[in-house]
Amino acid sequence: MTRASRLVGWIIPLLLAAAWEATVRLGFASGRLMPPPSRLVETASALLRSGELQSDTLATLTRVVIGFAIGGALGTIFGMLNGASSLMRRLFDPSIQALRSIPSLAWVPIFILWMGIFETSKIALIAVGVFFPVYLGTLTAIQSVDRKLIEVGRVFGLSPLGIALRITWPAVMPIWIASLRSGLGLGFMFLVAAELMGASEGLGYLLTDGQQMGRADTILVAMIAFALLGKAADAVLVALSIPLLRWQDTARTRL
Amino acid sequence: MTKLTISQVSKIYADGTEALRGIQVTAGSGEIVAILGGSGCGKTTLLRLVAGLDQPSGGEIRLDEMLIAGTHPAISAVFQEPRLLPWLNVSGNIGFGGKRLTQAERQRRTAALLERIGLAAYGKRWPRDLSGGQQQRVAIARALIGHPGILLLDEPFSALDPFTRATQHNLVLDLWRELRPTILMVTHDVDEAVFLADRIVIMRPRPGRVHAMMGVDPPRPRDRLAPAFDLMKRRVMRAIDRSLAEEQPRQDSGPSNLSPWV
Repeated sequence: MTRASRLVGWIIPLLLAAAWEATVRLGFASGRLMPPPSRLVETASALLRSGELQSDTLATLTRVVIGFAIGGALGTIFGMLNGASSLMRRLFDPSIQALRSIPSLAWVPIFILWMGIFETSKIALIAVGVFFPVYLGTLTAIQSVDRKLIEVGRVFGLSPLGIALRITWPAVMPIWIASLRSGLGLGFMFLVAAELMGASEGLGYLLTDGQQMGRADTILVAMIAFALLGKAADAVLVALSIPLLRWQDTARTRL
Repeated sequence: MTKLTISQVSKIYADGTEALRGIQVTAGSGEIVAILGGSGCGKTTLLRLVAGLDQPSGGEIRLDEMLIAGTHPAISAVFQEPRLLPWLNVSGNIGFGGKRLTQAERQRRTAALLERIGLAAYGKRWPRDLSGGQQQRVAIARALIGHPGILLLDEPFSALDPFTRATQHNLVLDLWRELRPTILMVTHDVDEAVFLADRIVIMRPRPGRVHAMMGVDPPRPRDRLAPAFDLMKRRVMRAIDRSLAEEQPRQDSGPSNLSPWV
């Protein structure tokens, strides 16, 4: 994408922001429930000055990173084991699929009961959110590796381990990375669920705080921070994966 | 240089289908043997057994005098499709066949082969940037980098246009003259078999059996336009006709089946 075409995406949000700003300034609306952009900037800079926004973002980010690492690792491991062995798959997959259909919020009470209201239960919840898409993606990817390429590995004398490392793994990579991305997205959703349920810091806490204080501007700043954080996390993931997917025909256009 | 002996090999699949029965084929050291037959006569199955990708239900396969079971470092293959690994560049794909070489030797041979297959400037390209014929040449280079004793070719030229195919034939012959692998190739193209092979084995289906074996007389280099070449092709086609005639009940055989075998 060229620089100019990247900027096209900014036109609509900027126009809307300017329109709303003008509406409030000209007195057509009070802006109490929907504060104009200038107020959001003020609120954000106040939160930044007090250091609150940074510490909340950091708290949220820490939870996501740890939860993502745990859920992603477990999802990958189970996906690989169940993808490679039909015995493992028949043993574990039905249970995992059953657990997958439990809605995210339903985990909250039991996690709080088991792990308390502090970090552990939140991280566990995020890990659960990340686990399922990564597990499913890895499993499907391994099952769909081209048998013909595996045969190439066999003819040229690779051991089963060599085939796993030099053929299965690179073949699985594109779908695995896509599943990590959707896992990360779901992880953020579960994170908000966790933070709304009771936290003393974090962007989710900022949301609840804004709601209790009746401050729409705080809520909106937290929401925007979520959007930026989620987008940034995804961008980091994509940037890390580009060298691994350079061979792919579609990599450049899709990512 | 390796001699390949296939004796009394049979293959019955788990569902009871008898794919091959009593196959007896030898390929002398450095010889090119073409297995000719229509689809469903088990030629690819036979090649898969020699490659070690499937296990025969009976009989044995020997390299020189050594009995083999499973894949073997001296046996290499080019498949019907190029089957390049999309995540390795062209050089990487060629080098993939030379797993047992030292890195320096692998690089040296890769560079030399790239030159030989006319893709010297393409080493760093991805397989997807290459045409079908170019990809198949890379697959041939990959199969030869380890200097295999036996090279198996599973109709690698069937998907190519006639122009590309002729170039490919010459390339294979050149590389064969240089490295002298024993080649066992499968094809349904009479012209290809007569052009490349020292001997032709004609198979017939259900179950796959050897119908006839014949030496290819015209001396190398062979001229596709020479009368001797045409004569040879006609002999092979007559043998195929006979195999078809034997296959079918008498009343089904067409007027061309003037075979004394029926």
